Amino acid sequence: MSAQQTQQQPQGQQQEQKQHRRRNNQTPKQEGPKREAILDLNKYKHQEIKVKFVGGRQITGVLKGFDQLMNLVLENVKEQLRDPEDDTVLTKETRDLGLVVVRCTSLLTISPVNGFEIIENPFVQPQEQ
Amino acid sequence: MLPLYLLTAAKNKPVLIELKTGETYQGDLVNLDPWMNLTLSNVIHTNTGADEFSKETEVYIRGMHIKYLRIPDEIMDYAKEQNLLNMEQRNKNVKRRGGDRNQSGGGGRDHRRGGRGGNRRFQGDRHYNNNHHYQQRDNE
Repeated sequence: MSAQQTQQQPQGQQQEQKQHRRRNNQTPKQEGPKREAILDLNKYKHQEIKVKFVGGRQITGVLKGFDQLMNLVLENVKEQLRDPEDDTVLTKETRDLGLVVVRCTSLLTISPVNGFEIIENPFVQPQEQ
Repeated sequence: MLPLYLLTAAKNKPVLIELKTGETYQGDLVNLDPWMNLTLSNVIHTNTGADEFSKETEVYIRGMHIKYLRIPDEIMDYAKEQNLLNMEQRNKNVKRRGGDRNQSGGGGRDHRRGGRGGNRRFQGDRHYNNNHHYQQRDNE
């Protein structure tokens, strides 16, 4: 309120705007993010995806199902094991977990395995220049 | 200038995300939601130690675990421009809506009448249920 009053707008125009906002409040003042799903998991159904968890675990598996909260059902899940001495380093070792329900609250990132490739440091050249 | 509005203006622009774990994701921002969950495309991922790099076509990131985002400097101006455009659009809408204000008022009253009918029906149901209870008790 106080911030609006300090604005150097004529009183009449201000009231008009306020009234208008009350009448059709479906138009926000400025365009913000929408309350919609931003990732359509249907396109990953029956495809292999990589899921990272809070705490550092990482798994890959075939997406079989999901819900609005992004709880996931994965099949043929393999966990990429980490170095026992250093949690942040992934090893080549995996272990099979089979059918898994992933809880949405501990989910960190989702990405498709298809299209993933390890690359050389792409930021070296800009540093040298 | 609110953070989420600024980020909305940064859609389809290159951004850098660092997670609380120290990993970074660089790519084009595709979409975001009110929890700052993001989807990026054409992503370069850097691990916590900044010694391993990988390319990914698309990534979904939970907003809760983001430490910070770097976005292009020009976004500030772009967002202001968009805001102005929105204002103009809104003003146009106000003028257009001025005429048919009375019609919408009538519609509201009709709606209320419909509601009352529903209530009556509901009361009838309750009556029926009460009778049913009595019957049950008699049986017992």
